[in-house]
Amino acid sequence: MIRALIADDEAPAREKLAHWLAEQPGLSVVGSVEDGLSAAQCIEELRPDVVFLDIQMPTLSGLQVAAQLEPSNAPLIVFVTAYDEHAVKAFELNAVDYLLKPYDRERLAQTVQRVRGRLVSHETGAAAVAMGRARAPSCERLLVPDRERLQLIDAASIEWLEADDNYVHVHAGGRDYLLRRTLQDLLSQLGEQRFVRIHRSTAVNLACIASLAPLFKGDYDIQLHNGRVLRLSRRYREALFARMGR
Amino acid sequence: MNTPASPHQAAAHGDHGPPFSVGTLAVLWVAFWLLMVSVSMQDALRNPLTRWWEPVLWEGSSALVATVWMLLAVRIRGRYMPYLDRPLRWFGSYLRWLPLVIGTWIAAVYPMRAAVYAAVGRTYEHSPWSYVVVYESFKLVIFTGLWLGILFGIDSYGQWQLQRQRLLRTQKALAESQLAQLQGQLRPHFLFNALNTVSALMHTDVARADRLVATLGDLLRISLRSGENEMTTLAEELRTLELYADIMSERFRDRVTLGWQIDPALQGVPVPALLLQPLLENVFKHGVERTVARIRIQISTRRDGDSLEIVVSNSGSQLEREHRDGMGLRNCRERLNIIYGEAASLQVSNVMGGVAARIVLPLAEGAP
Repeated sequence: MIRALIADDEAPAREKLAHWLAEQPGLSVVGSVEDGLSAAQCIEELRPDVVFLDIQMPTLSGLQVAAQLEPSNAPLIVFVTAYDEHAVKAFELNAVDYLLKPYDRERLAQTVQRVRGRLVSHETGAAAVAMGRARAPSCERLLVPDRERLQLIDAASIEWLEADDNYVHVHAGGRDYLLRRTLQDLLSQLGEQRFVRIHRSTAVNLACIASLAPLFKGDYDIQLHNGRVLRLSRRYREALFARMGR
Repeated sequence: MNTPASPHQAAAHGDHGPPFSVGTLAVLWVAFWLLMVSVSMQDALRNPLTRWWEPVLWEGSSALVATVWMLLAVRIRGRYMPYLDRPLRWFGSYLRWLPLVIGTWIAAVYPMRAAVYAAVGRTYEHSPWSYVVVYESFKLVIFTGLWLGILFGIDSYGQWQLQRQRLLRTQKALAESQLAQLQGQLRPHFLFNALNTVSALMHTDVARADRLVATLGDLLRISLRSGENEMTTLAEELRTLELYADIMSERFRDRVTLGWQIDPALQGVPVPALLLQPLLENVFKHGVERTVARIRIQISTRRDGDSLEIVVSNSGSQLEREHRDGMGLRNCRERLNIIYGEAASLQVSNVMGGVAARIVLPLAEGAP
């Protein structure tokens, strides 16, 4: 059974999609939401196989939702949009599935067919995530779980990141958010501008570094403005110094 | 300020092009006096008793004093410009100074000539004063009439050009707002989403889908209607707004409510066509589409003294701190300025828990 999620801020559009998807054998709609943040939340909770994601939505656009997902376990994403010249061009390049409104039943059936094919070959929504990251300003804000809810925090407020198996601790404003992502992937989303790796399992926000103290064998202690001390491994030393202009 | 802007006021608030070409007048003036001097010298050359410099002195002194008067006339031309379409009043305004002109003329020109003659040891001989007064008055009436005619011609031409420019600008602004409106309606997001809504309703409520198609048709028809008319009635303008609102509330069902507070006595008031839709578009773009909260939209018209006040307001959003007018608002403002000058205004501001766009128009007919 294919589990589908619908995200669109216009009620008639949601109803139409639900109506036609209900006709598809072996597919069930597990949720229907009206904004980006709820969509991200439902993807996290319901783990659908495919998401029909409208692009223009309140709180987070469809592209921003996609940008926040981890490519390796992202659901398949079908972007649904009335019109967005640039998006359409990007769809065509990336061969991500998309539906242009208004679409008819046959076009939707084709899309569902394509989704089935991709699920069989164990594809993920990586292409959609890549497209979202390329198109949406995803490096400025990060979606993090906060108790039962998802919340957006400013990337600038993140002090440092710490990998822990398949999870990453995001330390921001005295809080510790646990994200099911790899450090590598998170850094690729947040971009190279702000964060730099200082250890195999840690990365730090350059703006939060207060001082450096040398240890033996070329390692350093990095003190952050909040008092926290992190270890700089010599493997990453040159890269950090280069970024700090030394 | 609810009288139609007079042409002169229109010139004051930023119309382009000089209403009056001082350069043209100066060239004519110099040419005229050169001609006078040369004619006078031709005359003198045939008269052995007259020296070459005498005609130069006669005409030069005349030119000097006449130039002073001409400069004064040019200086106050702005004050008399509103009377250009009433020539009698215009000429009368200038001609009432004629006795003073004649008096000062004689009082200035004759002593000047006498002084120069005295300086070379001669006497300036002229006819008796009674004859001088009659002769100079007669001459001055003719010359003043001639030059006022020229001044009138130049000023009228400038005024005509100004009005033509103004008309062109009005037409251009209307064409622009029609285009903007059309682009708004044919804006892919609006049109395709509306079509998708129709496509959704077809499966659940055929009658409603039908109504939506008709509404969309009406709205497109209004935008496509070639507009020779710059103005329409408030009732017509509100009808357009209603069509747009109907489509948008179908799309964002459950998320918007609309309230109309319309003064029926004002429905016949002329307003610029296609003026209001950009305001409502903004409410949807910056209000409704940005939040999942329910938005209440209020549209009201009322009389405020001699003005018509139209307010489109919404709950649930605020202007960004450094907000700048989009194309829709810029267009509205420009048209209000062209049609009503300073008498009309458009303000967008934060109000209690929302944003309000307020248009104030003079109730008296604005366009000349």
